[in-house]
Amino acid sequence: MLQLFKPSLHTQRHDFVVDFVRRNNPKKVADLGCGECSLLGKLRFHRQIKLLVGVDQNGAKLRKKMHGLAPLSTDYLQPTFDQLCVQLYQGSVTQKDARFRGFDLVTSIELIEHLPLDDLEPFSKVVFGYMAPQTVIISTPNSEFNPLFPGLSGFRHSDHKFEWTRVEFQSWALNVCSEFGYKAEFTGVGRAPPGQEQRIGFCTQIGVFHRLMVDRDGHMFGDNAEDNYPYTLLYSVTYPSLRDNNILRKFLVSELLCWAEKLKKEWLEKLTDKLEEANPVEKDERGGEYGDIFWTNSPVPQCHTLHRHVSVPLQLLWTCCPKLRELSGSLSNLRQLIVDDPQIKMNRQRSAVILCSLEQGDEDPNDLTDSGYAERSHVEEEH
Amino acid sequence: MASRARARSRGRARGQETAAPGIQAREPAPKVSEQAEAGLVGRGRQKTAPVAFSEEAALEISAGFHQVKIGDRGGRRRDFHDAEVNTRQTMEHVKASKSGTSGSPIQLSANFFRILSRPQWVLYQYHVDFKPPMESRRLRSALLFQHERTLGNAHCFDGGILFLPQRLPNKVTVLQSMTNNGEKVEITVTLTNELPPTSPVCLQFYNIIFRRILRLLGMQQIGRNYYNAKDPLSIPQHRLTIWPGYTATILQYESAIMLCTDVSHKVLRSETVLDFMANLRQRCGPHSFTDVCAKELVGLIVLTKYNNKTYRIDDIAWDQTPCNTFTRGDTDISFKNYYKNQYGLEIQDSNQVLLISHVKRVTQGQTPPGPALLIPELCYLTGLTDRMRADYTIMKDLSAHTKLVPEQRAGRLLRLSENINKDTEAQRELEKWGLNFDKQLLSLTGRVLPPERIIQESRSYGYNPRTADWTREMRGLPLIYSPPLQNWLLLYTRRNNREAQSLLETLYKVAAPLRISLQKAVMIEYEDHQESLLRTLQHNVKAETQMVVVVLASNRKDKYDSVKKYLCVDCPTPSQCVLARTVSRPQALMTIATKIVLQMSCKMGGELWSVEIPLKQLMVVGIDCYHDSAAGKRSIGALVASLNQNMSRWYSKVKLQNRGQEIMDGLKMAFAGALKDFYKFNKCFPSRIIVYRDGVGDGQLHNVVNYEVAQIIGSIKSMGQDYMPKLSVVVVKKRINCRLFEHSNGKMFNPPPGTVVDTEVTRPEWYDFYIVSTAVNSGSVSPTHYNVVYDTSGLKPDHMQRLTYKLCHMYYNWQGIIAVPAPCQYAHKLAFLVGQSLHREPSMELDDLLFYL
Repeated sequence: MLQLFKPSLHTQRHDFVVDFVRRNNPKKVADLGCGECSLLGKLRFHRQIKLLVGVDQNGAKLRKKMHGLAPLSTDYLQPTFDQLCVQLYQGSVTQKDARFRGFDLVTSIELIEHLPLDDLEPFSKVVFGYMAPQTVIISTPNSEFNPLFPGLSGFRHSDHKFEWTRVEFQSWALNVCSEFGYKAEFTGVGRAPPGQEQRIGFCTQIGVFHRLMVDRDGHMFGDNAEDNYPYTLLYSVTYPSLRDNNILRKFLVSELLCWAEKLKKEWLEKLTDKLEEANPVEKDERGGEYGDIFWTNSPVPQCHTLHRHVSVPLQLLWTCCPKLRELSGSLSNLRQLIVDDPQIKMNRQRSAVILCSLEQGDEDPNDLTDSGYAERSHVEEEH
Repeated sequence: MASRARARSRGRARGQETAAPGIQAREPAPKVSEQAEAGLVGRGRQKTAPVAFSEEAALEISAGFHQVKIGDRGGRRRDFHDAEVNTRQTMEHVKASKSGTSGSPIQLSANFFRILSRPQWVLYQYHVDFKPPMESRRLRSALLFQHERTLGNAHCFDGGILFLPQRLPNKVTVLQSMTNNGEKVEITVTLTNELPPTSPVCLQFYNIIFRRILRLLGMQQIGRNYYNAKDPLSIPQHRLTIWPGYTATILQYESAIMLCTDVSHKVLRSETVLDFMANLRQRCGPHSFTDVCAKELVGLIVLTKYNNKTYRIDDIAWDQTPCNTFTRGDTDISFKNYYKNQYGLEIQDSNQVLLISHVKRVTQGQTPPGPALLIPELCYLTGLTDRMRADYTIMKDLSAHTKLVPEQRAGRLLRLSENINKDTEAQRELEKWGLNFDKQLLSLTGRVLPPERIIQESRSYGYNPRTADWTREMRGLPLIYSPPLQNWLLLYTRRNNREAQSLLETLYKVAAPLRISLQKAVMIEYEDHQESLLRTLQHNVKAETQMVVVVLASNRKDKYDSVKKYLCVDCPTPSQCVLARTVSRPQALMTIATKIVLQMSCKMGGELWSVEIPLKQLMVVGIDCYHDSAAGKRSIGALVASLNQNMSRWYSKVKLQNRGQEIMDGLKMAFAGALKDFYKFNKCFPSRIIVYRDGVGDGQLHNVVNYEVAQIIGSIKSMGQDYMPKLSVVVVKKRINCRLFEHSNGKMFNPPPGTVVDTEVTRPEWYDFYIVSTAVNSGSVSPTHYNVVYDTSGLKPDHMQRLTYKLCHMYYNWQGIIAVPAPCQYAHKLAFLVGQSLHREPSMELDDLLFYL
């Protein structure tokens, strides 16, 4: 088909939904007839969404495409507090599945025209009457636009069972509204050439339906006693999130150790400078489980050098590192989260992290001879 | 329209459409490539296709298939496995067998899994024709698979060629499809070939299926390997994240088709490029920031927050910011708004500069070739920078995580096979095609060559075969030959006066039992500046100076470089640099001084030890190259050739060449030089020459075979028409995926040095073998792969293997066995010194010395 639109009509439809999501912040979104999963693939970046679900009749297609919805490599590198679960189901939109109730937004992009006319009524019953989401977005071709396609006779797609004019679509929509308690706005994407916008309308017409009744968990869901689950779950993935305590702990520990190492290094450098100035730090007589402690008389908590160990106070880390504050919320929370981690060694009072000072015995065995650019041929390398 | 032209025109159309960074479709499903060759073969077949499948016809077709590449991402792929190179057929003496005989047998396991298929398994290849012709591959695919009921759910289609696991009832199947706009399309599916499991196309097909499987297991593809992002290891002190993963290749090995898989680790930075740049600016200051930044970043690979693609940073757009716009559709949009609207990503820093990546490969529905602009804030660095690689602590901490002992490594590999067998989706996919993988690692028998005896003057001794080291054994034994050192300098700074004195005393002490005659050194103090160090050298190094020892106060590369430059190029004199820190610890000084004195000796032409070399008039040549990515992408080729029977004296030559020039072009002269030098030493030309060629990248083997061998023969010919020595050319590869484990009492160990494998895991089309020649303290040992690509020596494989192993004993900078034959390591060391420090060709006067050790 000649490309009449830039970006393509397909892209414009998806952009319309994405734009709606950005303005209205739905938490649970379902795409009916998700097909190639390309809309879901775009929506997953908008992390106000917590649950993103797709359903399509063609299970083979979903199986082929579903791995494209897996988290990106980088989602694992620096997860955020946002949570997202993506699920794909095989099923027919004329069947009621209890897992599709209670959504904020349900989209049906270029779907209804593929349904036999007899299925249209069950479809609206399922979507508006049973799923009953806050908002429904339905798009379908506007047949008034068809004469603008050169050489097109009949429908735009061989599988289309019907293509509606604006009046036909709107009258169907208004019937649905009055039956299930929604109000609809009509718009579209794909503008007609200048001057003909009024006469022809958009290439794709879109109805945005808002539910009038606001109580979500009232009687609306009480009336169907038995819950049916006719759809088959094909794919489900939970994106990494800092709300997952294990992930949060992992990140806190990494961040904490990174800063602790940094502070330790600075401290040790300062210490050597002082020694060179022949101004030794005071010796702490209290000793402790790590032997001698060198101590400074600063009011601010500082690092200490213990017997071959350096103690870095949590308080100091907390003050230095904004990321730690952001991740853990409070110092006590931080302590609680990290205290059992096997990577972290703490003092008895649980007020400081203990690190090895590693000053000796840490020579590069390879910088023996000519230059430090040495013989690694015998050393295994792998990266 | 030919598919090549079609692909090009399509690319251009898209190019006009948008130049946005990272706008991309999702990864297209695995497809057979649509590239020119495939198209050609496809069309060729179309004409001749519907004939009966006589055996010859099938053979002919398979032979024609050498050129067909199936790329699972639609792009044209290099043949990384050099599968097209068949060298064994040209060598009569190894046609029947290429196995050696000496040594004692050893039970081994290798990181290979057999591919199991049903008996009589065949892959059916069909040609698919569309009437009217359809341009878009995606559309062709969609139209064809409207008939999934007829074709089945297991299929692999590239737009022209279709693979199915079953035979359709008729040879020609005509299907009717309809496009979205109601156009009727007739599709003709014609059976063209039945591919046996060993056909090259099948192998590519297996690889595609295996990649699908890894994806099903939730692994992320980065580059050529697959990683598990869900189970990362972190090294917080360096802000590194390591993803464990696997490399995987399926190839026809000696007797079976196998999956070779090894553990791989991907190093990622847990910070964005923007963070990295901020740190860098803090460290180096605003003045040198632009230079340093470009130097550190260019060439690195980044991952983005909005897709799973990797980009190579080619440049930095210092004049661009996220507020700049690009054209999308009919309108201009800023990068900032684009990422916000499309991906919900808020760019915090509007003043950051952008990164430039030249996207080379166009894959279906993706960004056009040409520069893509990337936002540093949205990119993560992968891999290590050169600076990190040179940082001993980082490398040590990394290897603590990535080095796996054989038992652990084998465990990881078995876990992969377990996961494939456990996963229902993966099993479903394999079942569709009638394939499966063996659950156990391949076991095979290798041989352990007997240890060599090390000869020093009239004495000889053995070494512990497990440690492969004779540091202790050689203590107090006289060297074969050491030139008396009468006139030499020792330079030091005032600060290191004490270290220099004690070094000198220890050198005298350790030299005596080695029979190195060492006269008193002239001690010269220098000021710790690069210029004054150079001035000191200029004043004091005379023609009669035999050796200059410099005690460097710090590990500063510029001082080291200027010493080496002056003493290798301007005023050719053997030199020895020592870091003051290295000689500052009294308890280690004896050991270190011994190493230094040995190094000094061989830099002046000393001969330390030897092993018995049974072949006479033999010249062994090592070739390696170094790619200088920083300095104008120059490459440096080094050639080192033996000059005597003991393999203790060497001729060394290095050639700098510009990008695009073949390594051998420069080394042809060096080769002739080596022959002439050999003549000078021996009063005759060598009657046998064995060339060990290192530094051959994946996919470059055909170049060595088709081009370099001829160059070498040309060099030999230039000595005289009637001079016809026996010649062998061996390609040496150290970075390979093959791992061998000694299998004993149900446990895995590193095989001992001297382990040779020349069956099962070798390739049928090559005369190749593996030798484990080193002992490692940690992790798993890596065997070295030797591929004899040209051989008129008539040497039995056993002799070739033993000679190769002997040569691994002859590297004078290491009192033990190394992973490659000594001339390769010498060539490597020479190329490295020139590439890192000299950037010029060293003086000819040093050609006969191992001055670069």
